[in-house]
Amino acid sequence: MKTRDDEELARSFEERLRISAGRPAAIPAGVARTRVLARLPEVSQPVPWLRLTAAAALVVVLIVAVWLGSPRPAGEGRSREVDAFAPALDPNVVMWVLDSRTTVYFVLSRDGSENRGVS
Amino acid sequence: MAVHETAPGVALMGVDATTADLVQAALDGSRDAFGSLVESHWDRLVRLARSVVGDADAEDVVQDSLVVAWTRLAGLSDPQRFGPWVSRIVFRRCLRANHRQRGRIALEAIPEPSRWCDPEASVSAWQVLARLAPRQRAVLHLTAVEGMTDAEIAPLLGITPASVRAHRRRARAGVARIIRGGGR
Repeated sequence: MKTRDDEELARSFEERLRISAGRPAAIPAGVARTRVLARLPEVSQPVPWLRLTAAAALVVVLIVAVWLGSPRPAGEGRSREVDAFAPALDPNVVMWVLDSRTTVYFVLSRDGSENRGVS
Repeated sequence: MAVHETAPGVALMGVDATTADLVQAALDGSRDAFGSLVESHWDRLVRLARSVVGDADAEDVVQDSLVVAWTRLAGLSDPQRFGPWVSRIVFRRCLRANHRQRGRIALEAIPEPSRWCDPEASVSAWQVLARLAPRQRAVLHLTAVEGMTDAEIAPLLGITPASVRAHRRRARAGVARIIRGGGR
């Protein structure tokens, strides 16, 4: 019963809403046109995808450039340096670089003896 | 009965060659073509805004929305869908306006239920709408006034058709409660 009453109330409200919506706008469409056109910026701006993409690419390039140009923390890039300056090693030699001043060499031999040292 | 009084050739959700041509011309820089779009859609957009933000702010919100629509026109993927696209911009700006006006909506006295049956009674629909959530107002408006289907309303409000149905159900229950004097 209450549901039917509710439906009836909602229906009568919607009828009232339609009547209310039928009122003309306070500003006529022609006047609105003039007002809106007066406020428009010069050109319709296209979605700046190209500009956004170019800006993003530039940011990436800058980040990479800054990263490559910045001083590296100790240890970083060490292995390449060691590779560049280390003497050619025998295949039976294992070299451990512990830190910038300590390198440990293991020399493996068949007779089981192990010749090793610290440089 | 749904209220449709847009200019001939400009349908609310339908596909229309004239609208598409005007949008294309506006995209090419014709302000005059955009002016024609404004004129064609003005009344319908004001009706929607009135139901969501009330009479006081509706026309300002629609004007602002149309300026925004001009600047974003290049983002409209299908020129034939200008109607729902611009309605969505209006609805979003209504939500923002609603957020700003929260707390300053004067909740006038709700009329006696019997007066709703009296067509002469000068009862403002806004008195009731103002007590509903903005999305409920929009769903009620687009259903009852514009005669749109759930599938048409959903993309316009950025919700699913099932959510449209839920909003409408809650809106109707809320309307009945408010008119009976139960408030929110």
